[in-house]
Amino acid sequence: MNKPLNHSLQASLSAGSAGAHRGGAERLYLRLLLAAVLLLLVALPGLLSQALVNAAIQMLIGALFASAFNVLAGQGGMLSFGHAAYFGIGAFATLHAMNALSGEGLLPTPLMPVFGALGGAALGLVAGWFSTQRSGVYFSMITLALAELLHALAPHLKSTFGGEGGVSSMRMPAWGISFGNPSEVYYLTLVWVVGSLALLYFFSRTPLGRLTLGLRENAHRLKFLGYNVHVLRVLVFMISAMFAGIAGGLLAMNNEAANYVLFDVRLSSEVVLNAYIGGVGVFFGPALGAAVMTFFGYAVSDLTRSWLLYQGIIFVAVMMFMPSGLSGIFSWWKSSKHDSAVLLRHVLGWSIGTVLCAAATVFTVELLQRALGADYQSLLVPGQVWPGIDLFGRTWLPGAVLTWIVPLVLVMAGGLALRRTSRAWAVLNEQEAA
Amino acid sequence: MSAGANKIALSLREVHKSFGEAHIIRGVSLDLSEGERHAFIGPNGAGKSTLFHLISGQFKPSSGEILLGQQPIGGLAAERINRLGLARSFQITNIFPKLSVYENLRLGVMQRFGLQYTLWRPVSGFSRVRELTEQLLEQVRLTRHRDTLGGELSYSEQRSLEIGMTLASDPKVLLLDEPMAGMSREETDYTVDLLRELSAGRTLMIVEHDMDVVFSLCDRISVLVYGQVVATGTPEEVRSNAQVQEAYLGTEVNV
Amino acid sequence: MEFFTVSLINGTIYGLLLFMVSAGLTLIFGMMGVLNFAHTSFYMVGAYLAYSLQKVIGFWPAIIVAPVIVGFLGVMVERYFLRRVHKHGHAHELLLTFGLSFIIAEVIKLFFGNYPVNYQVPTALSFPAFRLFGTDYPFYRLMMGVISLLMFGAIYLLLSRTRIGIVVRSAIYRPAMAETLGHNVPLVFMGVFGVGAALAGLAGAIAGAFYTTNPNMALELGVLVFVVVVIGGLGSLEGAMLSSILIGLISSFAVGIDLSAADLLGYLGAGDWAQQVGGLLMLKVSSLAATIPFALMLVVLLVRPSGLMGEKE
Repeated sequence: MNKPLNHSLQASLSAGSAGAHRGGAERLYLRLLLAAVLLLLVALPGLLSQALVNAAIQMLIGALFASAFNVLAGQGGMLSFGHAAYFGIGAFATLHAMNALSGEGLLPTPLMPVFGALGGAALGLVAGWFSTQRSGVYFSMITLALAELLHALAPHLKSTFGGEGGVSSMRMPAWGISFGNPSEVYYLTLVWVVGSLALLYFFSRTPLGRLTLGLRENAHRLKFLGYNVHVLRVLVFMISAMFAGIAGGLLAMNNEAANYVLFDVRLSSEVVLNAYIGGVGVFFGPALGAAVMTFFGYAVSDLTRSWLLYQGIIFVAVMMFMPSGLSGIFSWWKSSKHDSAVLLRHVLGWSIGTVLCAAATVFTVELLQRALGADYQSLLVPGQVWPGIDLFGRTWLPGAVLTWIVPLVLVMAGGLALRRTSRAWAVLNEQEAA
Repeated sequence: MSAGANKIALSLREVHKSFGEAHIIRGVSLDLSEGERHAFIGPNGAGKSTLFHLISGQFKPSSGEILLGQQPIGGLAAERINRLGLARSFQITNIFPKLSVYENLRLGVMQRFGLQYTLWRPVSGFSRVRELTEQLLEQVRLTRHRDTLGGELSYSEQRSLEIGMTLASDPKVLLLDEPMAGMSREETDYTVDLLRELSAGRTLMIVEHDMDVVFSLCDRISVLVYGQVVATGTPEEVRSNAQVQEAYLGTEVNV
Repeated sequence: MEFFTVSLINGTIYGLLLFMVSAGLTLIFGMMGVLNFAHTSFYMVGAYLAYSLQKVIGFWPAIIVAPVIVGFLGVMVERYFLRRVHKHGHAHELLLTFGLSFIIAEVIKLFFGNYPVNYQVPTALSFPAFRLFGTDYPFYRLMMGVISLLMFGAIYLLLSRTRIGIVVRSAIYRPAMAETLGHNVPLVFMGVFGVGAALAGLAGAIAGAFYTTNPNMALELGVLVFVVVVIGGLGSLEGAMLSSILIGLISSFAVGIDLSAADLLGYLGAGDWAQQVGGLLMLKVSSLAATIPFALMLVVLLVRPSGLMGEKE
């Protein structure tokens, strides 16, 4: 499955630059899709419960954070492992601003995320100036070290970061809106996220945006074309950090609090995972990845304690079998010369196989999770059979062979489906080449 | 023969370069007139690429001066030298593989207008940029590959793109490092014509191993052996130079 | 004087432990150009495996078996994961190891819970080696240092004196050439990866009993090991040894220094001003002990990215 997707990655990248040459019908279709998504987002609070609206806010913030990260990593080719630093600074800057200002006047509540942008940009300038002195894995190490430095220092700088209790604030009413209920916060977040994403898309079309791609492809050559590569890199870093700061500011406004835990490596890791799962070759890829993963996190976190494990497995699976990420599927579909029926058949085959393997994995993990948990272990009496575990509506005995045959059968069936589909695909492509 | 202008486009004065103990360039002096087409030939390891690196700003000379017109450029940053009017191509193709041919050229053209920090307008809004990029596409005869990704071109098409990118900044002095490397006879002849066209009105310095190319394209040749120029002159002069024959061309010279 | 001597010994031994983990990492980077994020996960797995096994087969057998299993795990990772994504480039491989480290940590939490486990030094070994300034110095700690030294010696001899060593070294520095000469370079890669992982596993097995064994140990050690490897020079074994000791000593000493920048300024007469400015200046070196290695790495990356003993870029 790798080959067609690699080509699609290239195709989608060139599609960005050769946008003017896309079919008119396709463009219309994409615009309609975008409009539909926007409409859905606007109507959301009316359709969902308050708790889910909260989840939607998190999804939007995650989408912006991942898109900001992508400017640096996917477009600029600079893999940052410490991006939570700019997100976090944005959150704290916004909270301090909220506390300092009353909510009305020149800088009313809805404009508070501007301070997130400023904080992110400022830290991005300093951190970027240092990090971009090196490239490749050294660059990544510097970004990691800087983030860890901040993470280690923050608990000690109590006036800025508030110690364990963190910094908190309150959303003051402005423009006749109280910002008291989640729907209002949702719309504020929506406006900022959509606006920021629009700006980021516009950026990718500006000269600096095109140069960002050049930095990724061949920074060395850019030097000999007359560009100061270090300055370019710092600017790209700053822009990425700025929008990460806005995302952080939005989180601060939503939660009305933040503490130094935001600088933890977990947040930096999460944005990397989300961006690559979504696919960094397409503009909306990382946003898609973040939305999907945040959604799953919400939906599934009540049902299982092993969500992080699943996240990791999904990431590794995507890295190995779908290097262009989820959005790569769309590019692959679009650029393939086979007709939709054929593609659909194969996608179905692969999906069935994946679902079966996933079911086997989930079953095994959930069973192990319960069997190895402290509560269950305390029930064990040496010499006696291990008691049954309730899962998916049935009781399974860990000692019984049947219990373990289920995942085994599932994974074998899944593996078979995947292999057969991949083989059929390979044959199909060989026939084409012949 | 080039126009008889006496103005010096590029000047090298006693240029030395050492890497630690290794003394690679050992005193090269040369003056290139405006509009001249000058070839550097010499055995492998003579230092031809190093000389290019020194002139284009990848390395700093250990001693000596390099002047672009009247402007000293020895030791300046590469991007500065490019903006002063000198551009180079690379022996190993150095393009943007996942960007389209159009985009590859456009990145070079954008620099001419100082657009690198422009954030408020999409690049498509600059019509002059578009015009010049289309022009370049025409000049290197890659118009039909406008939307092809750089990495998907054939080898010689990539070499043409490489030359096109070098031209994008509209340089007064062109340094081409083995532009014909790896090409077939046909492709080589084609590229020679292309170069003749493109270097009109510019100064060209070219490193080449193909003697036919050198003798047909260039006004003067310098022979570099062990970091020193052992002979400079017209193709006929160099061809008949005994030292050169011994060191490089071999005793039997094929025309 | 007591502080100095104790910190010196502790720091050196901690440094030696760091070396056991970072040796594999630096060799793997030198060889494959990939910084293996999952390397410290091997350290963690070694600790947990030793903990589980020692209940069944006893301490010493566990210390020997655990690294072997971890080495095997390393080989699997290289063969079935890294090799598959090799064609997508270094960034991709880096991300993959990153994801794997994530998974390993979560699997550990699955099996052992999200809290430390009670992996302790066996009573047979928890006696004092000697008395130092009135306090007992634990024998086990010395033993850790000795085992690390033995490992360093063994590897050094293996790489420099044996035929296998020459083949491995050539595969590290010139893989294409080594392959042309007929050596099975992929096998060498797998082997180095496995041995590197086993070393990290051994470090975990013995250190886990002395320090804490918890699901975050990979992360805690992880960044420190990267610092060691970067400062020492990616690919250089001697550099890794040098910087491990350096970092070990700095960490040990810094924890005991209760001075802050404000205190130092106080000696110069600017104490009151420093107190007023507050913030960073008031932080004691002991609190900042954790950040010093990072600051050092930053300096090295900016000034001499090839590290103390690495090849020049």
